[in-house]
Amino acid sequence: MASSRSGRAVPYLLLLPAGLTIAAVVLVPLLVSLYSSFTAYNMTRPASLFRWIGWRNYERLFENPDFWWALGRTVIFLTVALNLEMVLGLGVALLVSRVVRGQRLLRTIIMFPMMFSPVLVGFQFNFLLNDNVGLVDNVLLQLGVISQPIPWLVNSGTANLSILIAEVWMSTSVFAILLLAGLFAMPRDPIEAARVDGCNAWQTFRYITLPYLSPFITIAMTIRSLDVGRAYDMVRIMTNGGPAGRTELLWTLMATVGFQNAQMGAANAMAYVSIILSISFTVYFYRRLIAARQFLGEIA
Amino acid sequence: MTFQIGRWAKRLRAGWGGVAGTLAVVGAVALAMTGGAHAEDYGTFPGYTLKVKLIGGNQYDPLYTRIPEWEKLTGAKVQVLSSKNGFDLDKELKADLAAGAVNWCAGWDHTSFMAQYGELYTNLFDIVPKSVRDTFIQRTLDSGVIDGKLMLLPWHTDVSDMYYQKSLYANADNKAKYKAKYGKDLAPPDTIDDFRNQVEFFANPPKMYGTVFAGKEEGLNGRFYEMLLSYGGEYLSKDYKPMFNSEAGVKALQFFRDIYAAKAVPAGTINYLWDDIGQNFASGSIAMDFDWPGWAAYFNDPKSSKVAGDLGVARAPAGPSGKRLGWSGSHGFSVTKACDNKPAAVSFITWMTNYDTNMLEAHRGLMPANAKAFDDIITEVKAKHDDFMTNVFETWKVSLAEDAYPVPHIAQWIEISNASYPEFQAAILGQKTPQEALAAASAKATQILEDAGLLK
Repeated sequence: MASSRSGRAVPYLLLLPAGLTIAAVVLVPLLVSLYSSFTAYNMTRPASLFRWIGWRNYERLFENPDFWWALGRTVIFLTVALNLEMVLGLGVALLVSRVVRGQRLLRTIIMFPMMFSPVLVGFQFNFLLNDNVGLVDNVLLQLGVISQPIPWLVNSGTANLSILIAEVWMSTSVFAILLLAGLFAMPRDPIEAARVDGCNAWQTFRYITLPYLSPFITIAMTIRSLDVGRAYDMVRIMTNGGPAGRTELLWTLMATVGFQNAQMGAANAMAYVSIILSISFTVYFYRRLIAARQFLGEIA
Repeated sequence: MTFQIGRWAKRLRAGWGGVAGTLAVVGAVALAMTGGAHAEDYGTFPGYTLKVKLIGGNQYDPLYTRIPEWEKLTGAKVQVLSSKNGFDLDKELKADLAAGAVNWCAGWDHTSFMAQYGELYTNLFDIVPKSVRDTFIQRTLDSGVIDGKLMLLPWHTDVSDMYYQKSLYANADNKAKYKAKYGKDLAPPDTIDDFRNQVEFFANPPKMYGTVFAGKEEGLNGRFYEMLLSYGGEYLSKDYKPMFNSEAGVKALQFFRDIYAAKAVPAGTINYLWDDIGQNFASGSIAMDFDWPGWAAYFNDPKSSKVAGDLGVARAPAGPSGKRLGWSGSHGFSVTKACDNKPAAVSFITWMTNYDTNMLEAHRGLMPANAKAFDDIITEVKAKHDDFMTNVFETWKVSLAEDAYPVPHIAQWIEISNASYPEFQAAILGQKTPQEALAAASAKATQILEDAGLLK
């Protein structure tokens, strides 16, 4: 009896180190940051970690229009950027998959933007879009397209668009590479069968290629939705959320409050409200992934 | 109870250790600054590894070439634990404080940031001898004092003065038009009103703009702060009440709003910080640049600047209060409270701020914090008949001695800056009136100071 009980314990014992590691690196920091969101924790005054202030950080958040604007802007930014990157990435992947000679070279070139750090991308676009000494305005002025420089990073529309373009430039290749892998993994038979049955190129893409790529698209979307916060450094360099909060995203707001202002308690409260955003994106994409896999299982 | 006795015993031991350490430091460095550098002046620490955190970046690297010399003199080794840009280093120092993980001895500091690091760095009055402190320009050293504690030894110091394109002022047509319009001779601006007039006079966008200014973060708040003081205003009262929502505050903010609305500055200036400003002026499309001294050599180098050879400098303009624009800051070095070898740390920071280090920095166009170095660099550039650098050093010497003042020494300065500048931007862009923006910024600053317990 005793030996049978110890036998049942073996898998749990074997899993224990992994469990403890995960608890140490994920669970404990999560709990500590949750606790600190109910305190007046200021990083430069460590004792403030023990000053309990209840819901005050959360109450202030709910009353703070800047936070809600930043949250809304972040949702829009995520939605537009991810979908645009997906569509462009899919287009690039389809084009590259048709290239016969020099495909390896093309794949390497596609990956170039991924190799740039977001900070560097930020500086690059900042220089390109500077309204006085920047390349874009000077070219447009020289060509006579405009008579006065466009302050790309000042007006709300152009500033947010500039950030979006920089983000899309930096990350479309992630989609392109993942979807290209999906295209290579696709069986050729269904496509050939569709052609024999008289399907045109659009029908083949719509009813054969796209469903096969669906799981890859969903995985790429999930990875990117969690990874898109990498754009923080880029935004910080380009506008740091300004001017007058016109490009403020959750990441820039949290970094300013948490690190520059050292108000880590307040920043953690923001993080816990915004975590709902991450969870909903992830849940949505996982549902899509399960649905896509079921669909593939049905047609396979 | 046992625990408590043990804790007190520990404190007592630490106390005696502190006294002994202080005496050792004073002994080691006391003779250091009176003459040339000798090995014995800086003490010897054979086998000891001094852990430091320094600000990184191309502009600071030449300074660090002095480290191997100190190692050779003292027998100690320097381990640079961190060498990040100011933004990331600031984050790291705060994280060290939060984690209570300060296992290093000496580090970068700045007069605008030092109030935040009160728990991190020790009072240098206790461990740096007077003979060393006396080598610094008094006003510069004083800017590193909070509540009677010396938080850093400055290695170079900054205050802004006016760079301008000389040819614009020498142009006969400009002279005649300016005289006709304003009834005054065209000369570098001595008052805020002259400054505003000339900014608008020279503006001919997109070919030429009157000036350019830091439009975000602490840069904008700092520029507002000095403009406020020059209009006779006050930023914080002695009991920490925000005072900038005032008539002077409105005039200060209106200055930036007016020149922005007149398109006399590039529209993008609202997003610019120091590098953007420097590049803009160096491009030749800005008439005047109210900027830091570190740019002088860059602006006068034909490889990097189109205004090289056509560059004048003038003292900062004064406002109606008679006070000149004079927001000042100094980079410096501090010693951590947790340092296990304060004599070595003091020796290091003394070396890194001594006469020779200041001369090295001065040769790069930076303003020395060491009084003798300032006099000697002026003598040196005069002997070389370098009129431009002579003018630069002489102009800044007067500004540092008479006009410079630091930001309010409160830990919340950066936090208040971050809360205020979006409001100031909104006023400059015309989204809010100056009164609305100042009221909103003042309310945010009040809340920050109340939370910090400074304001009841």
